[in-house]
Amino acid sequence: MGEESVLTRRRRARAVQLAHASAADAPRPALLLGSVAVIATCGLLYELIAGTLASYLLGDSVTQFSTVIGVYLFSMGVGSWLSRYLGGPLLRWFIRLEILVGLVGGASAPLLFGLFAHVGSFRVLLYGLVGLLGTLVGLEIPLLLRILQGRLAFKELVARVFTFDYVGSLLAAVIFPLVLVPRLGLVRTALLFGALNVVVAGVSLLSFAETRPYRRRYLVLIAGALLALGAGVVGAERIQRYAEGEVFQDTVIYAQSTPYQRLVLTGNHRGELRLFLNGNLQFSSADEYRYHEALVHPAMQDRLLAHRILVLGGGDGLAVREILRYPQVQQICLVDLDPAMTKLFRSNQLLRRLNQNSLHSPKLEIHNADAYAWLRQDTARYDVVFVDFPDPGNYSIGKLYSTAFYRTLRQRLRPGGLVVVQATSPYVARRAYWCVVHTLQASEFTTVPYHAYVPSFGEWGYVLAQAQPGSWRPDGVALPHNLRFVTPAVVGQLRAFPPDMSEVPTEINQLNNQALVRYFEEEWGPYGQ
Amino acid sequence: MPLPRRQFLTQASAGLAGTLLAGLLGSVPGCAPARSAVQGRLHGAGHALGHLLRTPGKIPPPTRTESTDIVIIGGGVSGLAARRELHRLAPGQRTILFELEADTGGNAAAGHNDRTAYPWGAHYLPLPDERDTELLAFLQAADVLTGYDAATGRPIYNEAYLCHDPHERLLLHGHWQAGLVPDVGVPAADRLELECFLAEVEQLRRATGPDGRDLFRLPLALSSTDPVARQLDTETMAAWLARNGYRSEYLRWYLDYSYRDDFGVPAAQISAWAGLHYFAARKGRAHNAPSDAVLTWPAGNHFLAAALRQQGGPGEVRTEALVFGLRELPGGLVEVLAYDARTRQSTAIRARQVILATPWHVAKHLLPTTSPPLDLAPLHAPWLVANLTVADYPGGPGQPLCWDNVRYGSPALGYINAEHQALRGFEPDGPHSLTFYWALPTNPADPAAARRHALASSYADWRTLVLTELDLMHPGLAAQVTAADLWVWGHGMVAPTPGYVWGAARQRATQPWLGGRVHLAHTDFSGVSVFEEAFYQGRRAAQAALVATPVA
Repeated sequence: MGEESVLTRRRRARAVQLAHASAADAPRPALLLGSVAVIATCGLLYELIAGTLASYLLGDSVTQFSTVIGVYLFSMGVGSWLSRYLGGPLLRWFIRLEILVGLVGGASAPLLFGLFAHVGSFRVLLYGLVGLLGTLVGLEIPLLLRILQGRLAFKELVARVFTFDYVGSLLAAVIFPLVLVPRLGLVRTALLFGALNVVVAGVSLLSFAETRPYRRRYLVLIAGALLALGAGVVGAERIQRYAEGEVFQDTVIYAQSTPYQRLVLTGNHRGELRLFLNGNLQFSSADEYRYHEALVHPAMQDRLLAHRILVLGGGDGLAVREILRYPQVQQICLVDLDPAMTKLFRSNQLLRRLNQNSLHSPKLEIHNADAYAWLRQDTARYDVVFVDFPDPGNYSIGKLYSTAFYRTLRQRLRPGGLVVVQATSPYVARRAYWCVVHTLQASEFTTVPYHAYVPSFGEWGYVLAQAQPGSWRPDGVALPHNLRFVTPAVVGQLRAFPPDMSEVPTEINQLNNQALVRYFEEEWGPYGQ
Repeated sequence: MPLPRRQFLTQASAGLAGTLLAGLLGSVPGCAPARSAVQGRLHGAGHALGHLLRTPGKIPPPTRTESTDIVIIGGGVSGLAARRELHRLAPGQRTILFELEADTGGNAAAGHNDRTAYPWGAHYLPLPDERDTELLAFLQAADVLTGYDAATGRPIYNEAYLCHDPHERLLLHGHWQAGLVPDVGVPAADRLELECFLAEVEQLRRATGPDGRDLFRLPLALSSTDPVARQLDTETMAAWLARNGYRSEYLRWYLDYSYRDDFGVPAAQISAWAGLHYFAARKGRAHNAPSDAVLTWPAGNHFLAAALRQQGGPGEVRTEALVFGLRELPGGLVEVLAYDARTRQSTAIRARQVILATPWHVAKHLLPTTSPPLDLAPLHAPWLVANLTVADYPGGPGQPLCWDNVRYGSPALGYINAEHQALRGFEPDGPHSLTFYWALPTNPADPAAARRHALASSYADWRTLVLTELDLMHPGLAAQVTAADLWVWGHGMVAPTPGYVWGAARQRATQPWLGGRVHLAHTDFSGVSVFEEAFYQGRRAAQAALVATPVA
């Protein structure tokens, strides 16, 4: 990828700087040349971190790397240009600069991760930070050249400074993918190398006699900067701890513990986002369209007159996105327990792109409440209800799959209304799946069981339940044409169950027996869920 | 400030709480108990007002006179059931019900905190016998029973009120097992005895006497009159167990736990008839639940008490009112003297019939002395009920939090998760409301001593006792308690001591008094204090009152 060409371009940029270097005033060239290697490593690492992070968070890694590197190098040029305005004691400028680069570079990754979910436009933040960092890094080499120029002959100076510069770059390019990302992760790598920049400032401060007048003041500054970066490491530990006990294949780009659950968003270099709730995969941006099309369209495809829709769970807005494809829908009511969930999917740019801004639709009403409690006080009636709760992995959620719950739900349906329930995997948890089917039947629904293949999940089960038998027809009269998975023919295929997932007798799930939770535990248990 | 243990024990041992605590601590050396930061209140039945009955001279004489058809004295389940039955059979009759407390419900009391209602007393109803049709009709009107299955005819109960799964767990050998019958890690011999006992009571459950009636039934008045069965009422359950070779400690603990839970006293203090009746009279069935299911509500049986009151028609209910006199008047009337604690005034009410739905220790002050004197002395153990708010989830190894949570070997009865029946799909890690039950030990020879002893303990003593027990169930959880409200019942419920249920005194007490115009209705006159008995007592008295004064 673009990294080799980056180095070449960088070399050219620095060759231009070289022409402007002149005059001498500082001692100890060996020490300063050592610093060149360190700051070169740090400089390239910040660039790599920003590029990697951008491709995790925004996807499309070629574009992200290319634009991040472009902005970074251009800013370095700006920094080089600006270096001419620095006058007076140059060593002091250098020390200041290293502290600043250490702080900004060290904070770059934690800042980008931390603000990812909270800023309206992530790109402004990203390129702003990359630009600032590039400018600061661009100041470094010209300044050092000027410090060293009296100590060495020009040809020596140029040869040595750039040798150390490129040695440092090679080191960074090798250890970043092989050691740092797998061992430390992006956040801790940034903080560690930020600290190295600050250490360079410290070493320079203590090694040169001319720094005596301001040494004490700067030592305090350096200690403060190191402390701040250290605090960042502790903070990073906390983000890291979210991932403990669960193995996320990809980088955790957002993690939040709410009073209700633990939200973790991961990203990878393919630009694939995954959302985990309490460690369970909720969706992958790569194939969630299969899951949500299969959830929504089989029920909606014959509903020319469906005006009012209820969605229980589904705070990611992805089911709502599919429902909004039907112009006849006038009102959608979304009930999700966790306000942090709906807030994240309303505010974050990437996630808004994924749900096509569905949570901002004027047709949508969002209620952050316990679905059972909310339903019991609701008085409206709906044409279709989508029930997209987490799997019945504990006794509390098990209540949301009980005959008592489905009977309450039934009372909220218009005549001829439909309910669709996500019902775990009929392949992995065959009894659990059919238990949901039978529980809906016991709650006086006529059921249409179906399943879809979602690569991230495997075979996934749904139950379409009719309040009145025969009110649902798979004729596809209302089906939108631009779907990627569901077509009228596919609706027919989804209803076929091969022998390894076909119907088995089960108990009915009631509040007083929680049969479903037991099936679910027995069947998913071996998978360590 | 935690006190040194020895000093604490010396101070606390003035009351019953201290004595019990010393026993608890004996098993856990080094446990430091006092936690004065936890706030709460000590509640109790209004014994101050009630005890005025002992000194009627202090009560102001009546200043007004009223009249009505039927007066009901006592607003517990018996009195409320009587009121409902009167309204059902004779809606035109005017009734007034007097209740000592601020709310009706008696032992079926309940409290509230900012999250949930919780019980202060009786808190569940096992599936009732299908033959108890009026009880089922009451439950149907209260939306507890939603209909009958067309094919089997069995009742369908409201799923929200059937005790949700998981029901019960027992902390045994440091591990929470599912169910209360000791099982995990129990030696084979003990397990066999438990099975034998349960099989034996199962047989008794199906058995009928020579008169064709069930050997054991609720209401117990409908049980067989078979003298062989009634002979069981003369020995203690403990003696019966010994006589039948039941020696397992696990079985003995389980039985003692069960009897203390229903009667307040262990197997050694109840009759064998009552001990077997406890298991063998449960015959409820449902279309949508197994026969051992129970019905329960966050507010416990206060839910049922409120429904009874609601189904009782428009008749007046006067709370915080003490009835202190009953007198036969010429012309077929009874005069009821009632003191209103709010206005501090007394009223005389002239009624044609009176239903006296109070425990015997209240009723006996209102009834004339008989000759020979009525030798009725129901034993009531004092009870402690504690509602705790804990900041943390009460987990532990094994089975997760259940409705009923019990520690094997504990002198207490464990706790109920008050929010167990909540209809919601999310269980917060945060605060939980736990209701602890503790039937306090009582000496049948001197029951008043236990009561005095209990009332001498302070809030801090009881709190320490409960928190120590909580720590034994969940090490460290006592430190997470943020509030502890306590209720001490001086008179809990009647214990069916040997000879009580089928003795002559109880039978005599249920005869009408004062010229056939006063009818007693209370589980003290059954010997078994359960909802079904109270319901039956109330209905029986109401019917007797209506027979005595036919509807105009």
